[in-house]
Amino acid sequence: MYHEITVWTRGIIMDKEARDVVNCMATAASNAGLYSHYISDYVDDPDRTNCLIRKYARFGDQPIVDHFVYENPHPDWVVLVEETLIKGVNFFRGTPDGQGVLVVNSGRDPEYLLRFLPESMRAKLSKLVVVDAVALAEQLGRSPWMFVRDLGQLAYDRMSTEGATERSEVGIGIAAPLIGALTAATGVLSLEAVAQTVYDQAAFRRGAEQHTVLDYAERRATATAPT
Amino acid sequence: MSVRNTRIPDHLRLPFAGVTPAPTEEAGQELFPTGNFRFFRPVYRDKMPPCNNACPTGEQIQKYLDYVKHERFLDGYLTIMEDNPMPAVTGRVCYHPCESACNRKDHDEPIGIRNVERYLGDYGLALADDPIAPTLPALNGKHVAVVGAGPGGLGCAYHLRRLGYRVTILEAQAKPGGMLRGGIPHWHLPEEVLNAEITKIEQLGGIEIRCNTRVGTDVTWEDLGSYDAAFLAVGQDVGRRLPVEGSDLRGVMGGLEFLREAGYGRPVKVGKKVLVIGGGNTASDTARSALRLGADEVTIVSLEARDELLIVAEDLEQAIDEGVRFQPGTACVRIIGDGGVVTGAVLAQARLAKDEHGNVKPEVIPDTEFQVECDTVMFAIGQAQNLDWAPDHLNERGLLQADDYGRVEGNIFAGGDIVRGPAMVVDALGDGKRAARNIDKVLRATELTPPDPVEVMPYERLNTAYFKHAPRIEAPMVPPAERVRDQETEVTQAYSTEQAMAEADRCMSCGVCNGCDNCYIVCPDVSVMRDARENGHYSIRTKYCKGCLVCVQECPTGCLEKVPELDFAEPDDVQRMETAFAPYDGAHAEQSIPIARIHEQAIAEYDAARRATRGAAGNGNGEG
Repeated sequence: MYHEITVWTRGIIMDKEARDVVNCMATAASNAGLYSHYISDYVDDPDRTNCLIRKYARFGDQPIVDHFVYENPHPDWVVLVEETLIKGVNFFRGTPDGQGVLVVNSGRDPEYLLRFLPESMRAKLSKLVVVDAVALAEQLGRSPWMFVRDLGQLAYDRMSTEGATERSEVGIGIAAPLIGALTAATGVLSLEAVAQTVYDQAAFRRGAEQHTVLDYAERRATATAPT
Repeated sequence: MSVRNTRIPDHLRLPFAGVTPAPTEEAGQELFPTGNFRFFRPVYRDKMPPCNNACPTGEQIQKYLDYVKHERFLDGYLTIMEDNPMPAVTGRVCYHPCESACNRKDHDEPIGIRNVERYLGDYGLALADDPIAPTLPALNGKHVAVVGAGPGGLGCAYHLRRLGYRVTILEAQAKPGGMLRGGIPHWHLPEEVLNAEITKIEQLGGIEIRCNTRVGTDVTWEDLGSYDAAFLAVGQDVGRRLPVEGSDLRGVMGGLEFLREAGYGRPVKVGKKVLVIGGGNTASDTARSALRLGADEVTIVSLEARDELLIVAEDLEQAIDEGVRFQPGTACVRIIGDGGVVTGAVLAQARLAKDEHGNVKPEVIPDTEFQVECDTVMFAIGQAQNLDWAPDHLNERGLLQADDYGRVEGNIFAGGDIVRGPAMVVDALGDGKRAARNIDKVLRATELTPPDPVEVMPYERLNTAYFKHAPRIEAPMVPPAERVRDQETEVTQAYSTEQAMAEADRCMSCGVCNGCDNCYIVCPDVSVMRDARENGHYSIRTKYCKGCLVCVQECPTGCLEKVPELDFAEPDDVQRMETAFAPYDGAHAEQSIPIARIHEQAIAEYDAARRATRGAAGNGNGEG
C-alpha cells in the first residue's frame, strides 16, 4: 500500500493551507505506523503570490528508500486548494490510469467542474471530490485574496514556508475541511487518526461529512459496459 | 584554465530554457504566459447611468456630456436628437429629473445637465444646414395622424418621420406648440426659440401641421380611423375653476387661459393687486407673468403649507427674488365685487386634504376668515380636458387609458398629459417617442415587447478618489429687478462654451467606459490593450493578465468588474488554459526539446530503479 499526495495551491497567500494538508496526512500516517514523508515545493518556480505551487506527501507500509526524490512521480491523490487550478495545469501527469482521486475546494457543481478536464485527464480520474471548504471553515479574518484569514497571519506563515517550524496551529482555516474531505473520500487513513493532527477538529468533521463525491470510475464502467 | 577533455552533460548544453535568452522579445514573452495565475478576470461591462435612466425620453446624457467635454458639439447635438427633437426647449424648461438622479450630488453638487443641453440646443439651431435631413429614409407610403402639436405630438411626428412615415398633425389652436406656447411664458421659453424648433421639425419634410383643426368639431373620431395609425396628445389645457361665489366677476380668470393669451401675444390686462389661487408651477408662472404685465403686488394663495408647495425649488427661489408674496395654508372662500368687478376676496386658514379619488378637497378651519383687497383673481388649481370626441369607454375620469406601450385600442396610441394628468414636457416627449416606435412595430406586424431590464450604477461603486471636488457652475441669471420689467427678458441665460465644457467635465460617466486610460496605466502586466480610442475601448490580454484586479479597483466609472475565472456564460465556452508551469512544459520545452524530455527520463529512471530492486512498479520499496 503506497499513496502519493500532491497538493496544488497558489503561492504566498494559500501556501499554509496546502502545507497543513500534507503535514497532517503524513503525520497521521506516521502515527499509524506507516512510513511517510512530506515536503514543500522544491523543483517548482519560486513561490510568488498567485503562482502555482505544489506540496508533496507520500506514505506506505514499506520503508521509503529514495529520500531525495522530492516530486511525486505518480501522484494518485491530488488536492486543489483553489478551484481555478482545475483548468490551469495537467496535475494528473504521472498518475496511473483510473486511480486518481481529485479533491477540489469549490462551491460549484461537480458536473460543471468536470467540463474543464480533457479526455486525457479523465482517463486517470477515479473520484472527483468537491468540498466547499470556505463555507465550512471557521472565519478567522477577512481579506480579498486569502481564504478566511487576515494579512497579519501571513507573516507567521512566511517563516514556515522556508522550512522553519510552524508558528500558527497546524490545520486551521480551510485546510481542516479539505483534510476531512480527503480522508473521508479516500478511506485509507482513519478519521480518528487524522483528526488528532488537525487543530480545528470541528471543521475537519464538517469537511468529512459535507462533501460531494462524483464516482467517475463507476460512470466510466457503466458507460463502457456491454449492454 | 584549459577545457580540454571536459564534457558538458547533454542536459546542460545550450540552448537551455530560462538561461539562454530568447531570440526575440516576443518569443521571450511566450516563455512566461502567466494567465493561469488568475482566479478572477476583469471584464468591461457598461451599466446604465442614473441620468439616462431618469430621463423620461431616454436621452443618452452621459454620452453627450462626454462629447461636450471633448468639444465635439455636433456629435453631442446629434446624440440628443436621437431621443429629443427640441433640446433648445427642454434645455430651458425641463424640471430635470436627470439632475435629481445625478450621482454627483452625493459627491458635491449635481451636474448642470439642463444648461449643457440648452447650449447644444442653441448650437443646433445655429447650424446652417440641418444634419438630420440627409439621413432620413424615404417615405414608406404609410400615413399617421397626430392630434395635438404640443411636445407629445411634435415629438411623435419627428420620430415617425425618422422611421419613414408621413405625418399630419391636427392642432386646434392657431399656432403649433401646445403648452410650450400657451402655458410656458416667454421669459422662460422665448417665442423665437420655440418657433425655430418647430420649423426645424417641419422642415424635415413629410410632416404637415394643420392649425385651427379641432378634433370633435373639424375632425371626428371616425376620421382618425382613415389613417394607418394615430397618436393622441391633446394635453389638458382647460383650467379648473374654483366654484365659489363671485367667480363670474370681471377680473377673475383662469391662470392657464391667462398664460395662453400672453403666450400667443394677445393683449392681456391684469390689475395692480393680483391674487393667484394655487400651489403649483402654473401658479408660479402665472404670478410671475402678472408681475411683468403691470401688477404691483402679486400673492400666491395656496392650500399647501409653505413646505408642501409643489413649485420646483429653483422657480420658487426666483419667484421670491422677484417679489412674489405667499399666503400658504389658505383657501379662497368668496370673491367680492362691486358693479360686477372684483374688489377683494375673503380668505380663510385651511389645510390641504384629498378625497377618496385623490382629488384636492380643502379643509377650511372655522372662524379664521379674513378679507383682502385685490382687483384680479386667477385660478391655477388644476387642469382638465374635454374628451367628448372620444368614445366613452376610453375616458377614465377625464384621462385616456393607455397600456404600457401607449396603446389605447387598435392602432390608436396616446401620451402626454391626457394620459398622465399634468406632467412634464419631457414626459410627453418620451411618450411620443415610444408611441412612434410602437406604431412602427404594429404597422410592421412585429410584436410589442417590454424594454430589457437595466442595472443602474450607484454612487457607492464608483472610485471617487479620481474626481476632484468642483462646485456646480450655475447659469448666469438676469437680476430680479431687471427681469420683471417685461415678458420677453429670459430669466436664465446661456452657458458660454468654456462653462459648458467645464460643467460637462464634472460628469463621472457612471458605469460607462469613457476611455480615461486608468486601467491601461495601472496594469502591471501590460495586459490592457487599447484597441481603439473611440470612447475608450479596451481588451484584456488573458494570456498574461494575472488577475491582480488593480484595474478593477482603479476604474473610476465602475464599468470594469471582476468575474470569477471559472464563470463561463455558456457551457460550451468552458476553456482550459494550459500555460507553462515548469521548465518542462509549454514554450520552455519548445525552446529546448531535451529539457522537455528530462522529466520523463527522470521518472522512467526512477520506475526502472524500483522495478530492478523489487520486481514491481511504482513505490519506494527496498530492502536495505
